[in-house]
Amino acid sequence: MLARLKGKWTYFVIAALLLFLILIPFRWFLGQYTVIMIFIGLFTMVTVGLCLLLGYTGQVSLGQAAFYGTGAYISAVLSKICGVNPWLSMLIAAAATGAFAYVIGYPIFRLRGNYLAVATLGLGVIVYILLRQLGPGGPDGMAGIPYLSIGGFVFDTSFKRYFLVWFFCLAVLLISQNIVRSRTGRALRAIHGSEAAAESIGINVDQFKVKIFVLSAVYASLAGSLLAHQMSHISPGSFGPLVSVIIIVMAVIGGLASIWGAIFGAATVCILKYELLLGFGEWDIVIYGLILMLVTIFMPEGLFVRLRELFGQWRLRYAQRGAEP
Amino acid sequence: MSESILETKSLSKAFGGLVALDKVDLAVEAGKITAIIGPNGAGKTTLFNLVTGVYPASDGEILFQGTPLKDTPPHRRAALGIARTFQNVLLFGNMTVLENIMTGQHPRSRYGFLGAALRLPRAHREEETISLNAMKYLNMVGLGTYATQNALSLPLGQQKLLAIARALATEPQLLLLDEPGAGLNKLEKQELSDLIRRIRENGISVILVEHDMPLVMGLAEWVVVLDSGQKIAEGTAAQIQKDQRVIAAYLGEEVE
Amino acid sequence: MSADQFVQYLVSGLTMGSIYALIGLGFTIIYAVTRIINFAQGEFVMLGGMLSFYLISAAGIPLAPALILSVLIAAAIGAIMYIFAIRTARRASVVSLIIITIGAAIFIRGIAGVGWGVEHVRPPYFTGSESISLLGAYIHPQALWIIGTTLVVVVLLHLFLSYTMVGKALKACAISPVAAGMVGINPRAMALIAFALAAAIGGIGGVVMAPSISMDFNDGFKLGLMGFVAASIGGFKSPIATVIGGLTLGIVVSLAVGVDWGPFTSAYKDAIAMMVLLLILIIRSGRLSAEERES
Repeated sequence: MLARLKGKWTYFVIAALLLFLILIPFRWFLGQYTVIMIFIGLFTMVTVGLCLLLGYTGQVSLGQAAFYGTGAYISAVLSKICGVNPWLSMLIAAAATGAFAYVIGYPIFRLRGNYLAVATLGLGVIVYILLRQLGPGGPDGMAGIPYLSIGGFVFDTSFKRYFLVWFFCLAVLLISQNIVRSRTGRALRAIHGSEAAAESIGINVDQFKVKIFVLSAVYASLAGSLLAHQMSHISPGSFGPLVSVIIIVMAVIGGLASIWGAIFGAATVCILKYELLLGFGEWDIVIYGLILMLVTIFMPEGLFVRLRELFGQWRLRYAQRGAEP
Repeated sequence: MSESILETKSLSKAFGGLVALDKVDLAVEAGKITAIIGPNGAGKTTLFNLVTGVYPASDGEILFQGTPLKDTPPHRRAALGIARTFQNVLLFGNMTVLENIMTGQHPRSRYGFLGAALRLPRAHREEETISLNAMKYLNMVGLGTYATQNALSLPLGQQKLLAIARALATEPQLLLLDEPGAGLNKLEKQELSDLIRRIRENGISVILVEHDMPLVMGLAEWVVVLDSGQKIAEGTAAQIQKDQRVIAAYLGEEVE
Repeated sequence: MSADQFVQYLVSGLTMGSIYALIGLGFTIIYAVTRIINFAQGEFVMLGGMLSFYLISAAGIPLAPALILSVLIAAAIGAIMYIFAIRTARRASVVSLIIITIGAAIFIRGIAGVGWGVEHVRPPYFTGSESISLLGAYIHPQALWIIGTTLVVVVLLHLFLSYTMVGKALKACAISPVAAGMVGINPRAMALIAFALAAAIGGIGGVVMAPSISMDFNDGFKLGLMGFVAASIGGFKSPIATVIGGLTLGIVVSLAVGVDWGPFTSAYKDAIAMMVLLLILIIRSGRLSAEERES
């Protein structure tokens, strides 16, 4: 009875959310938030990758912005300077970033815990410096990156790009959810639970860590490419070490082990940064710092997950009261 | 004498200067329950860790079903048919009881990232088999009613049964149990003995490291005694109970 | 590169290396006692430097008391951070503690940015600015202050750890918290002392270096990273090892940047340090991950 109720609820909620998502960019609805929503979509993609890595597999990465950056830069350089088709550029960027993550993944994942955190942080710093020094335009970045298009249909307005970004974002979320609820997902969680036990039941711990690292890098790369092809301007500042930390903030708010929480985390941070605290100087970092500490100390499962639990409890109590005569 | 499922030849392990295992020769008969006993620090768990590949041997070799396991990594050994439990249980606390066992089916299924990501039909089929098998092992250890509970919400006795079920789910030929009886009450130990006998009846060879002598003597068809990293005796339970060196080794420990 | 140039780079390497060593000492102390990598360590350095500037220029406090006050405030903030952020998170996992200290780091950085704005500040030199000639190289008096302070800090730290009750208790905690607890040492009190001490040493680093390199609220992160590299070269073992690590890093970076290798300009300084870090971590990964597994 309760299960069926829950099932109905879920479908209803999903349908309502989808409708809401589709209507957002229309001017008569929430059109003024289209650009922010695009950023939320992009950051959600990066955050989900981190959730798979950090929340499910238990491996820290403080360098996810590096992959976001390589995705953006490879895509931009190929399409603008080499004249490669933007879609192909995006694909090559994802493949190259994935390959990069694979190559550095094996040595880096011989490290654990604290040392892994610092190594990935160092990696992020190196990539950031290289983008500044070797990237076209140096610290100022590059402009005039071509838009994506399908046939004659060019994604040249925020309205159009909104749907493009959220198509990719939802695809990434669905794929991630499927992975989590599978043999692979169980293997990842097993590694988080106990590496010794995971090995003892035949899970290739090192390989799974590297694979999920590569997947998270590919997600970030895709998001970076989408960013490049729609801002038509990128600069290294968008991919610095602080951005990696902000991605952690998003994951922590959404719940490290929660796929759909990533949207909530990305939305909270983006709305704080681009709406509520715009022009308030460094207050945004102060608040991120507080969030990181408070959420990790008092609700380690994440703000979103905690809220969902509270909502579930409230609903259960409500249903029980209804059932009593 | 029937064939050996596991053999070690002059197997040694040293940690720095400390010799944990010293030239141990073993031949574990297939389809039997073998017990390894010995005082604390005798090298029993070290032996398990070498057989499962947690760390490499300093010297000597290990043969599983006649094949040497020199550089085979732990996860490959599990796939070959060696399963184990741990002294400190090591369940996956971030999963339910059933999921713990399903995870044990890992080496007996193959679909990977792509199959999972796109929910290919093959993934579906394999998932069905995995769930069915997991339910089978869950019921075999008698935890059927707790399937959807968090694994760590079970009391210790049931956690240990769950750990055995998880190991069984890898469908091993050889099962290594590291102190399965520790911390269990009398009734639970009885259930454990029954379970181990049933496992053996399913054709799985069992090696157990155990301190509880009545449990060992009631179960084991062959007993190996280690002391300070060396094999000091082996034989049937009756023979071992009379062995002077064994008695001396244990008395030595009592005095400590 | 001429011999003179070489000596010059060596001197500047030693100077920067001393700073890295001071920052690294903070990491080593906290890690030894609590097994926590404090990602906020660099922020104490920034606080020390920024505080000294504002105490001198805005509050008009004379140099010496201003420096001491800056260090004390940094130490107090270190203690506060332990009490509110670390001690409340009982039995948190390694990952949680990493996230918490990162949170503390950007919180402190953000407050500094809000309070002091984004401009670079440079407190006055301790003594004059006339460079001294030595073996064909020029040394700025402030560089001597930096190197000298590092020496004094290390010697004092060594004496403190070896000859005082509290110091010995800290050492015992570093070797085995459990055993230390059994002989009546309170590990949490030791952790509190470790955080305050590390913050104080970080603050000292900030105070002595700020006159040489101007500082802003953002600098803590980079300095912290360099200190971490110093501590990891030293293996998080002892104060002496950390200092050797810091000096090595300073000299390597200084020479690597100084040598004209075409693509290597000073912009790559941090990248080189990070490469050194990654190499060291990966080479030592076997031992390091065994260590992390235990804890």
